[in-house]
Amino acid sequence: MAIATTNKSEIYLNIGTLPSFAELEDELMYQLSNLSSYPPGTLVRIDIGEQRLTSKQVREVEDMLLDHGFYLQDLMSNGPPESEGDKEADEHPFDHMPYYNDTVMICRHLRSGQKLFSEGNVVILGDVNPGAEVIAGGNILVMGSLRGLVHAGAFGDETAVVSAYRMNPTQLRIANHITRPPDGENVDVSIPEVARIRTDKVVIEKLKL
Amino acid sequence: MKSKVIVITSGKGGVGKTTTTANLGTALAMLNQRVVMIDTDIGLRNLDVVLGLENRIVFDIVDVVNGNCKLNQALIRDKRFEGLHLLPAAQTKDKTAVTPHQMKNLTNELRKDFDVILVDCPAGIEQGFRNAVAGADQAIVVATPEISSVRDADRIIGLLEASGLKNSNLIINRLRSKMVKRGDMMDIDDILDILSISLIGVVPEDESIVVSTNRGEPAVLENASRAGGAYRRISRRLMGEELPIMAMEEENTGIVDRFRKMLKLAR
Repeated sequence: MAIATTNKSEIYLNIGTLPSFAELEDELMYQLSNLSSYPPGTLVRIDIGEQRLTSKQVREVEDMLLDHGFYLQDLMSNGPPESEGDKEADEHPFDHMPYYNDTVMICRHLRSGQKLFSEGNVVILGDVNPGAEVIAGGNILVMGSLRGLVHAGAFGDETAVVSAYRMNPTQLRIANHITRPPDGENVDVSIPEVARIRTDKVVIEKLKL
Repeated sequence: MKSKVIVITSGKGGVGKTTTTANLGTALAMLNQRVVMIDTDIGLRNLDVVLGLENRIVFDIVDVVNGNCKLNQALIRDKRFEGLHLLPAAQTKDKTAVTPHQMKNLTNELRKDFDVILVDCPAGIEQGFRNAVAGADQAIVVATPEISSVRDADRIIGLLEASGLKNSNLIINRLRSKMVKRGDMMDIDDILDILSISLIGVVPEDESIVVSTNRGEPAVLENASRAGGAYRRISRRLMGEELPIMAMEEENTGIVDRFRKMLKLAR
């Protein structure tokens, strides 16, 4: 049973407890189609009763609202608190990634001798070749092969991450930690990876999305 | 047809820029193109020696840009081909004797009379490089399968892109297919993976290059030379022909291998 009550600039949707997320989505879709007369930018509060949503599902709900031009104001739920096990399973490599306001996007290869500095994040759609340097106050994402030197969290942010489609850097720095690949070992990894600081050490792990 | 100004560069020294310029220039002249080669390595001129034209130099590039002589007085016509010309570098000055602006004017002047203008770039990334690149509308980057050469080529491609030359082609020079097969040398894919530009040819390591360089006769003139053959194919690709790149051409086999082959045929 869903009720939509509204005032001028805010919509309140009571969707109630539904057995599955798919049904919740269907119900929400139906409710939203009835609200098309509201101006874009309207805030929406949703009560989902006893249900609990994972952070991924919350993002999906937000996306559905955005398709109608609405913003999610609040998601209310009085279900049981999440158990520790659920949390672990739902943890995302980027969940603890720090937020930076400015992001620089580079759509080419960074070649030897080229240097890039940004106070915020850096996204590179291309390779970072040996001899090139990327230094960012925030996070670094390389949508290509990372073979050069990168420094994330250059102002001391230890929560900054470096992720790359192919992680093979000459040297990788996060905050004041400096690492390099071990001598004599030539590991050829063909999957995307992410590097971050865990318990005071830089670790590189598989990038799960 | 619109004339092309092609700069031949590498960053690192000794990888074969001058040899490549001499051979491509000669090969293009063999295809009935009107070609001029400009040596911009002022102070360390070589191209004239490789072409065997050293004794004909009267004026050079510095004389031309300073107005000491007319452009066509400094151009040396090749002794073998009608359409092949050389504008030699000065030996007694240095790279600062010419500015990028003057180079640009010079190449524009040459465009009127020639189909292809090949600019032989000096090693390094300083003024000599900036001069050579100034008037060019495309670049050929020469690299050997060594990590240092590939690194420098990468740097050069970055600098070329920064100066507006986005369509660079790569020549991999002095490749030894036997060493590649043994895994002792970088292979073509390793190099292309890093440089990610289009490959226009692979020139095998060939002793005949040393002989022809010393004699002042470009290797493309010899039909038997494998490196010469590779340069002839590159020149045809430059003219727009589509030829497959023969990556792993059979290395000249020793007597034992030849014997093995004969046995195989007999079986």
